[in-house]
Amino acid sequence: MKDRFQINPILKKEMMVGSRSMKMSWAIMAICGILTAIVVFVLIITNLASSYAGYSYNSLIVLFPVLGCTECGLLSLMIPVITSASISGEREKQTLDIMLTTPLSPMSIVKGKLMSAMMIVMMYMIASVPVMAIAFVLGGLSWWNLIGLFIMLIYLGIYVGSVGIFCSSVVKKSIAATILTIVIGIGILVGTALFFGIGVSIIEAYNLATGNMISDSHYGLMLIFLFNPYSPIFDFMVRAMTNSSIYEMIGVDNSNIIFEFIYRFWIPISMIINLIISYGFLKLAAKHVNVGHKNKTMKRS
Amino acid sequence: MLDIQNLTKSYGQFLAVNNLNLHIDKGEIFGFVGPNGAGKTTTMKIVCGLLAASGGSVMVDGVDALNNPDEIKRKVGYVPDFFGVYDNLKVMEYMEFFGSMYGMKKADVDSISEGLLELVNLSDKKDVFVDTLSRGMKQRLCVARALIHNPELLVLDEPNSGLDPRARFEMKEVLKNLGSMGKTIIISSHILPELSEMCTSIGIMERGQLVTSGHVDDVMNSGNGGMKLHIRLADYGSGEDDVSDGKTYDREELQRTLSEQPNVRKVQCTEDEVLVSFGGDETAAAALLKSLILKGYAVSGFYKEKEDLETLFLELTGNHGGDNE
Ligand SMILES: Nc1ncnc2c1ncn2[C@@H]1O[C@H](COP(=O)(O)OP(=O)(O)OP(=O)(O)O)[C@@H](O)[C@H]1O
Ligand SMILES: [Mg+2]
Repeated sequence: MKDRFQINPILKKEMMVGSRSMKMSWAIMAICGILTAIVVFVLIITNLASSYAGYSYNSLIVLFPVLGCTECGLLSLMIPVITSASISGEREKQTLDIMLTTPLSPMSIVKGKLMSAMMIVMMYMIASVPVMAIAFVLGGLSWWNLIGLFIMLIYLGIYVGSVGIFCSSVVKKSIAATILTIVIGIGILVGTALFFGIGVSIIEAYNLATGNMISDSHYGLMLIFLFNPYSPIFDFMVRAMTNSSIYEMIGVDNSNIIFEFIYRFWIPISMIINLIISYGFLKLAAKHVNVGHKNKTMKRS
Repeated sequence: MLDIQNLTKSYGQFLAVNNLNLHIDKGEIFGFVGPNGAGKTTTMKIVCGLLAASGGSVMVDGVDALNNPDEIKRKVGYVPDFFGVYDNLKVMEYMEFFGSMYGMKKADVDSISEGLLELVNLSDKKDVFVDTLSRGMKQRLCVARALIHNPELLVLDEPNSGLDPRARFEMKEVLKNLGSMGKTIIISSHILPELSEMCTSIGIMERGQLVTSGHVDDVMNSGNGGMKLHIRLADYGSGEDDVSDGKTYDREELQRTLSEQPNVRKVQCTEDEVLVSFGGDETAAAALLKSLILKGYAVSGFYKEKEDLETLFLELTGNHGGDNE
């Protein structure tokens, strides 16, 4: 079992290769540039708006959701690009075949790829700390919010990364994998909303037709958003900005303990659900990597 | 060492490997020959555990390869027919990368890699980026890589494709060295002469089936074309106009006489010798020689042409048109 403690060979290699390539540095610089531009833009706007009433740094609190959402958005676009070639690229080079002739299991290959993508996410987060710090210090938010945001970014990175690696294992071309990842992401976003919308209309129609009211129906339907990977981030933002939360906004009827519990702990519950889903995507990716050996479970000696 | 029995692989309806039986002894260099699409790559991938077989069994060094993929991976080294290399990775790091996949320590990988790079003649390229190596060098690097865990069986899928004669020669030297080190090697190719020079045994595959296999010389004699005899006569002459002076033979008559002999299929008189396409075995050839001498021909040369593998290959694989469908 000694190889348990060895760092994943793929992660090690990708870090070495990544540190030599300028591409990543340029991407991180570009992202920091975007974040800086947003800060400057917000500073100018708030400055203009408050020029006659005396400048209030408190208004800079808007930087938090703006920067936070920008970071999440950029991450959701960046990770599909980073991970799209992870498996398809190796397959094209036939280095995937070579890897599969080594004792490295398909799951370790997939995990190594995910960890490599996460290293880039970390670098990107670290690089954005100074910009974020300005916003936080000036806006008067606690450091806990910054740490919380980083946890959210890592969580989102794992989710999108797993989907990206899955797509890369299914599709032959990297470009197609990028697009498929984004399409799946949008599909989940739109799908959950659509499910909720349609559900609500059906129930309203039913209520209208029968005159009966199904209580709690919305609370139940809204649980679909637990499967929306962005929902805990949304709740987190709300909590950071307003001392309120999804729980309070919805005003759950206290009589239903299960709903109350779920809405109160929306963030961890939804995160756990989505991390389990990510793991499922990774499992599927590993299965596709090992497509030649459909029946063999890899047992370690 | 390698024992393949009734191996079958189908892609849907299509049988890529059809009931293949093959035995390779330890220390052999086995040349796997066949036209495009014969199923060489498919067979090799199954041996390496990259593809699941549809039926049959593969034993590598006494281990059932189809049911113990993890054990097989430590025994087999694989060089695919085509492979890309990573950007921004140096030769030594490339070796370390694959070494670490076998759970080897960096120090071990380094010392083993030194030797392997020496073997494949890349010692002076240790700190060069792999993507800047020439095609031949990459191919040899990949062979070194496949040896990093000291496998007993080395599977090389067309290691010579796309290489110039010089690079082929170097590759051949590397493989010969490996052979003399006692490794069992399987090499696929569709270029026969090359294989016959470095292999101890060969197998010819067509449409998923092994047409023939065995020791290089045996396979070469097994061609259904029999042998080609070159006969030289002391007073054969040099041109047709010499016939009149009685010192040389009437070629037409010579041709007729020869054609009447048993096992003779075709006689062809060239400038300075007679070529006989002969269907019999060695004893029959000796009988032919005897009867020629008894008939008074001054035979000054009588030898069997070493069967050209290329012709044999075409013979063995070409005449099978349609018997598979
Ligand atoms: N994934 C696949 N799906 C369907 N058919 C396949 C697949 N892979 C290979 N084949 C078919 O199996 C047959 C054998 O292919 P294989 O690659 O083993 O041939 P080969 O002997 O290596 O040929 P080459 O000399 O061109 O490398 C071919 O006819 C090919 O079309
Ligand atoms: Mg092939």
